[in-house]
Formats: sequence, C-alpha cells, structure tokens
Amino acid sequence: MVNKVFQPVGGIIWLFKNAAAACVFFVFGIGLFIPQQLLGQQTNLKGRVIHADGQPLFGAIIKVEGATQHWVTDSAGSFSLKVTGIHHRLTISHVGYKTASKHIDAGAGFIEIKLQPLNTQLAEVVVKDSHADDRRASESMNVEIVDKDFIRRNLGGSLMATLSRLPGIKTIGIGSGQSKPLIRGLGFNRVVVADKGIKHEGQQWGADHGLELDQFAAQEVEILKGAASFMYGADAIAGVVDVKPTLPPKANSVGGSIDLIGKTNNNLYGTSVNLYGRNKNWFFDSRISYQNYGDYAVPADTVFVYDYAVKLHNKRLRNTAGHETGLHLDAGFIGSKFRSVFYVSNVFSKSGFFANAHGLEPRRVDTLLHDRSSRDIQFPYQQVNHFKLINRSQYQAGRHLLQADLGYQHNFRQEYSQYVNHGYMPANYPDTMRIPQTLERQFDKHVYSINLRDKILLGSHELNLGVSAEHQNNNISGWSFLVPAFKQAAAGAYLYDKIRLNDTWLLHGAIRYDYSRINISGYSDWFLSEGTRLSRANSMSRTFNSLVWSAGANYTPGGVLSIKANIGKSFRVPIAKELAANGVNYHYFSYERGNPSLNAEQSYQADVSLNLNAGKWLVVLSPFYNYFPNYIYLNPTSAHDYFYGAGNQVFEYQQSRVMRYGGELQIRYQLTPAISAEALAEYLLSRQLSGAKEGYTLPFSPPPSVLFNLTYQTQGEGRSAKPYFSVDYRITAAQNNIVPPERKTPGSQLWNIQAGTQLKWFNRPLNLSLQVQNVFNTRYLNHTSFYRLIELPEAGRNIILSLKVPFGDSRL
Amino acid sequence: MKQLFYLTTSLFLIIILAGGCSKSNDAQVDTEYPVIDLSAASAFPQQCGIVKRGESFTFRARLSDNFELGSVSVDVHHNFDHHTHSTEVSACQMEAIKTAVKPFLLIRTFPIAAGLKQYEIAEQITVPADVDPGDYHFLIRLTDKEGWQTVKGISIKIQ
Repeated sequence: MVNKVFQPVGGIIWLFKNAAAACVFFVFGIGLFIPQQLLGQQTNLKGRVIHADGQPLFGAIIKVEGATQHWVTDSAGSFSLKVTGIHHRLTISHVGYKTASKHIDAGAGFIEIKLQPLNTQLAEVVVKDSHADDRRASESMNVEIVDKDFIRRNLGGSLMATLSRLPGIKTIGIGSGQSKPLIRGLGFNRVVVADKGIKHEGQQWGADHGLELDQFAAQEVEILKGAASFMYGADAIAGVVDVKPTLPPKANSVGGSIDLIGKTNNNLYGTSVNLYGRNKNWFFDSRISYQNYGDYAVPADTVFVYDYAVKLHNKRLRNTAGHETGLHLDAGFIGSKFRSVFYVSNVFSKSGFFANAHGLEPRRVDTLLHDRSSRDIQFPYQQVNHFKLINRSQYQAGRHLLQADLGYQHNFRQEYSQYVNHGYMPANYPDTMRIPQTLERQFDKHVYSINLRDKILLGSHELNLGVSAEHQNNNISGWSFLVPAFKQAAAGAYLYDKIRLNDTWLLHGAIRYDYSRINISGYSDWFLSEGTRLSRANSMSRTFNSLVWSAGANYTPGGVLSIKANIGKSFRVPIAKELAANGVNYHYFSYERGNPSLNAEQSYQADVSLNLNAGKWLVVLSPFYNYFPNYIYLNPTSAHDYFYGAGNQVFEYQQSRVMRYGGELQIRYQLTPAISAEALAEYLLSRQLSGAKEGYTLPFSPPPSVLFNLTYQTQGEGRSAKPYFSVDYRITAAQNNIVPPERKTPGSQLWNIQAGTQLKWFNRPLNLSLQVQNVFNTRYLNHTSFYRLIELPEAGRNIILSLKVPFGDSRL
Repeated sequence: MKQLFYLTTSLFLIIILAGGCSKSNDAQVDTEYPVIDLSAASAFPQQCGIVKRGESFTFRARLSDNFELGSVSVDVHHNFDHHTHSTEVSACQMEAIKTAVKPFLLIRTFPIAAGLKQYEIAEQITVPADVDPGDYHFLIRLTDKEGWQTVKGISIKIQ
C-alpha cells in the first residue's frame, strides 16, 4: 500500500539524480554562448551620487545590469560611464546606505541619485528600500529577510523565537530564553546558523540549549529555506539563518544608542548600550547588552509531569530564571577598494531548568528553597560562554571581489545538577572523583574556520569561487555521559555561477565538493555496572566525501508575476553522538546507541516560489518537495537494555528514506495606504518511507498554522513619525501526526499585539515599541517545545516595552 | 494572466493531491501508548507498598497494548534523598533523608513473547537481607512494538 502510493517518488528521485548533472551543465553551458550585448551603440551616462542632505558621496559603487565592470564615484560624488544599448538598470550602493536601483534611458542627461542612509526611519518613507527585494529577486531559493525594525517589533525571548513569526520558521524552545531554529520542520544540525559569515557552532549537544546570539547585535537576518549546502557546506540541508553584523558607521561620526527593555511575564529587564565612531577610514563599534529575568509564568496553577501533579507557586515555572551578557567590539578599516573588519564578541548566559523536571525526569523539589525568590537560579541550571573572534576582509580588484573570513570560536557549556545515582552509579558520589559533584555535563568546543571567496563579474556571469575549511576540537567532562569527545576537520570547494540571460531570466548553477574527517575518542564509565567498567564509546575515525549541486532559475517577465525555482542536493556529516553514543540520556529515559556505520545524510529538495504583485495585492506561494534517501533517525525501539542502558528503552540511530513536502502562502492586501491585511500560512508533511518507523512522521513536525495580521502604519512625517499598530491572530492546528516518544498536541489560537511610535527628543528619533504576546493569557501547548513532552504549557501573557535612545551623530 | 492562472491552479492541485495521498495512510500508524494496569487486587507492588528484606515478592501487573507489546523493564532504587520518579498522585509517608550505605539496586528487563496484546506479568524478585531499609522507587517501563513507552513510578518501602 505504502509503496504503491509513493511510486511517483521514485520517479522524481530518478529525475533528480540524472537531471542534476545535466542541469548544472546546461546552466553553465548556456551562459557561455550568450553575446554580451546585442545592441552596439555606445552612450555616455553622467551623474552624481549624493547623500540625502545633498553632500556628495565618495566611493559609491555603480553597477549596470549586464555590464562586465562597475564604476566608483569620485570625491565629488561624480561618475561617468560608457554603456551600450538604450535601456539600463543601474544599481547604486554605498556602505551604510540603502542600495538604490534606477532605470535610465540613454540620453537621459545628467543624473542625480540620492542615497538614503540606513537606520533612519524617515528615509524609509521617502525611498523604498530595494535591497531586500533585490536579494529576493536575484536568489532562486526561498529567502526571507528581516531587519532591526522587525526584530524590535516582534522581540521574543531569543533571536530565534523572534524569527518564528515568519512562515515556515519555528523553534524548538526550552524555557523563556533558549531556542533553536526549525526551518520547515528540520532543525539541529540540519540548519546552519551563520554569524558574521562564520558558521555558529554549538548546536550538537542536545535539544535543551539555545543559540548564543545577542538579539540587539543583529543588523539583519536572512533566512534561506532550501538546499543551501552548495554555499554553506555540510548541515545546510533545511536552510540557513544568516545573522548579518551591524554596518559600519558613516565617516567622521561619533555616536551611540541605549536600548531599554522590560517584559512582564518573566519580569525581564535589560539594556544594550552601543557606542561607535569613525574617521574617514577607521571605525569602531561596540556594544554591551545585559538581560536579567525571573521564572516565567504560565496560565496554570498545576502542571502535570508524567501525570504527577506539580503545584506551581504564583503560576511560575520554578527555576526558569536566568541572565545573559553580550560584549561586542567591531573595529576595522574601510577604504574604497579594501576593507578589513575584526569582530570580537562574548556572549554569556546562565539559566535554570524547570526544577520539577530535569529534562523529562520528574524531580522532587524543596519548595521552600525554590519559591523563596523567582529570580534566583538553583539546581539544575546551565551556563554557556561563547567567544568569537572573526575577521572579514575584502578587496576589490577589477572584476574580482576577493573576500576572506577567518574565525575562531570557543563554546563552553556546563550543566549543573545535584548528583543523582542513575542506574548502576554508586549511591554516594565518591570523594576520589576529580569532577565536581554538581557538574553533570561539560562541553568544551574550539572551532577554527576559514572561508575564501572570489566573486568575478564576467559578462552576464557572476561567478563565485570559494574554498572553506574548519577544524573542531571537542572535549567533555561531568559525571554523566552523553556525547564522546571528538575532533573534526572539514574542507570544501565550490563554484557558483549566476547568469543574467536578459531582464527576464536569471539562471543559477552550483557545484561543491566536501571532505571531512571525524576522530572520536573512547569513553569508559567512572563507575562499575555489575562489576564491569563499561566502555561507552570506542575510539574511531571516519571520513566522508560529498558532492552536491544546485540549479535554479528566476523568471521575472515584468508585470505582476515572477517565478523562481530551485533544485538541489545537500548533505550532512553524521555527528559524534550519532556515530558513537552509547549512554543513557536521562532527559528522555532513553538509552541511545550510536551507529558507527552511518553514511553522510543526503537530501534532495525542489523549491518553487510564485510571486504575484498586483497593485494592492501581494501573493507569494512557496511549495517545496524534499527527499532523503538516508535520513539519520534516532529510533525508539521496543527493547530495554538492563546492562549498558540501565533498564532504559533502547533508542538506535538508523537511516531511513524520508519524504517531506509542504509550503508557505503569504497573502497581503493593502486596504488603504495606512492599513494592510496579511495572512501567512504554512503546511508541512513528513513521512518515513522505510525502516522501523515506516509510515510515521519525523519528530518535531510543526502542525499547519495560519497567522492573520492587520496593520495600521502611518506614512506621514512629523513630530511622531511612523506610529504603527498591528494585531496578529495565529491559529495552529492540532498535531496528531506523531512518532514515539511524542504526544498528540491539540490546536491553539493566539493573539498578539504590536504597537510603536517614533518620538522626537532633542531632534533625535526615539523609538518606543510595545508588544503584548498571548493577549488572552491562553493556556496552550507548543508541539515543537522541548517541554511539550512533560505537558508544560507555553508562557502566558507577556507585555514587552522597549525604548531606543540614540545619541551623538546620527547613525548613518 | 492566463499563464498565472494555470500555474497557481496546478500548484494548488499538486498540494491538494499530495495532501490527499497522505490521508489514506494516516490510519495505518499506531499512536497509542501501552498500558500498565496495577488496579487489580492481585497487582503488586502498589503505591506505598511494603516489601521485606530477605524475602521474595512477585511483581504482578496487567500489561496491555492496542497492537502488540514490546518489553518491560523494572528498576528498583533507593529514594533516601527524596528525589522523585513517582507518577502516582498520592504521596507516601517518607522516612527522614539519610545517606545510603548498601542500598538495594535491581535493574531487570523482561522480554514479552511476540504477538501479545495482553500479558499478565508475574516475576519473582528477591530482596537480600543485608540491604538498607527505607524508601525506594519501583519504576516500571513498558514499551510496545512501535516504541511507545509508558513509565510508572511507584514509591515503596523496604523493611
């Protein structure tokens, strides 16, 4: 029955495999035969690029669509360029300014182009920022771009939680400040999070950790949904969350800003102070952020952990308080052809785990101790420090744009908990142990990365050549064992060609090769199990090779419709846990057994995005189809293991065929210039096609949901420019499609309100934002929350107030 | 516009058709957890039950699943520190917190013959005479063939 239904799948895969090589070849091939320009006549375009206030802009880069070279403005902001043909599309960009795009006809005379600085609210009213639109239009994958404004308006407990308003983006969350991204239902090592061009490492350990990223420090976040391995390497199977750094300040300026934030649900208070300065070429940009929060509140007096009733004090989840600090310093040199910027950051966070359940294990708590304060952090808790040192440099040499990203990061994570003698562990913690009695786990990760790229403009081709390499060193400590220590090295090279055939067609083709090697260290228990010291992990070494590709097209015939399509193969190297785990995870009561013979996971994905932009209507439909011939799946078996597994259920890593499909639909209607209505819907279906769980879904599959929004956004200028008021109503369907050890999650309905305004304060803009999340204090469960399995409801009503006060020279 | 109409219609059709196929399969997977039933009078041990050192007792429970049972595992460990695994609503009278000297520890798995929907487990467990008396947990874990697991944690006393 199952096979019969999925016969077409086989066909599609056959097409994928065979069409792939041909497709890439075709895309590269076509480009070579396209004459650079069909019309011969040369014309001279002259003009000037100026700042919004009329000052000439030096070093603005002008590109003409289809032309091989680009031009740079002189100190008077002037440019003069020779082009052939009649109609031209010019793209004018400058650091710190919004990229502008203009259609110029030959003989247009002297052209004056005004560039609007970034980060000023006023500018947005005058000129529509086309940079995000351009990015969407020139990328064949589905891409979502959000800026600082979006982050401020929809501020969640963490950057990833903020992004979950976007269709197709969800999070696996734990507590109020920790979450990991899920793109179309895939997360963990199937999503790459890139911060300042370097892959953020530290996701491998488990579900109950967040990402160490400071929301205040993000300038812009770009989310690629789809097979992105060709650019980002291993792991970018479901997509990429690319967090862009703050842009450098404008020349000869000194300034800063203070952010203040408060939340009612977990009594959070926080601040972020930014200070920057720049002379002509040298700049610095620094930021200190601090947030402190108490236990979060849920709309319930009692919660049930495995049917065991837990009475809550003041409706707060015991011991979910925390605090985090972010320190950032960016400094560098910016010239017209060369720039080099150093980014140093350190993000530290300490947060408690719900005291009545550590992981999923119910715990008795000393209520007197825990309920004394809702702000203190008792056992169990985690603390993480993530340090990063990144250098990004680029040099413009004729047709080449050479870029280099170098990074070092150190992720140091510790989980503290009272000693509990699970399984065969001795009843009392031995005095002879060097590991502190309260240190349950420790992960110490050092990562060195390098990415080199060359972007070459060759006629209608935009070629990207790149190599990247990474080395990781991972050590463990603590009295409990989950993942062995390991070392990993990976290197890859890629070629990506983007060909503009004409104004209507843009083709993409890419190919990438990767090699990686993982060396896993052995691990033996520190205690005896029935007289034997068990070996939990054998030292082993594996190598993986992978060849991936991607092909895509953008069709923009002008008018209301544009279509893009992408098809690609991605891969992921099995992580140490998947290859070599052999221990009990008391967070799940599971005895997890690694599989040393796992192959690199492969994924084929086809994406289509249909964009209809007609007057007041905007409709974007983005369906996708995804197939894994060997998805790595942690399979809960029916067996128990009394020896290695201390009586727990055996979970085994295995590989199975998996298919997934779904999509997002966005419909927006502009009722009046100030009022718009929007609906964002998402649907996902996953199915395992082979293996022990054939017919079942994958864990953490988000249920279908639709978000209705009504926004009032004034357009005028004046004393309080751009006040907005916006209401979100999200309906989430029940998720009855589950796989062990999940539980069916009922549907929910949620209301959120966002409002804000910009006031003038000593002639400076001052942004005030207000948010009410879960307006009606609805009790609901989130299927993708880590605490879902123990039936913990999501956070209740939360009012968030934030204020941004800039000082000094305005930021661009 | 015509082209657009065809495109959108066909895309919607694909989605609807694909959604249609999936529904025909949904009914086939088992999403029910197995059941550990200790309600029978003969079931042992019960919440707050007592077992004696140097004696044996029989662990009796009725295990069932809608499709096929997997395996059962029993874990007896001390609760002198008053941690909890209890899944039972009623709390038992606990003795004072104390340090373990020679606590009783038993981890045992009992496979269940294939193809059974119901199974009355009756396994003899011997408590050695020299173990620490006091509060203990009796943890029962039951899986079905698909890997759904039910955990039942019972507080018992060893005297």
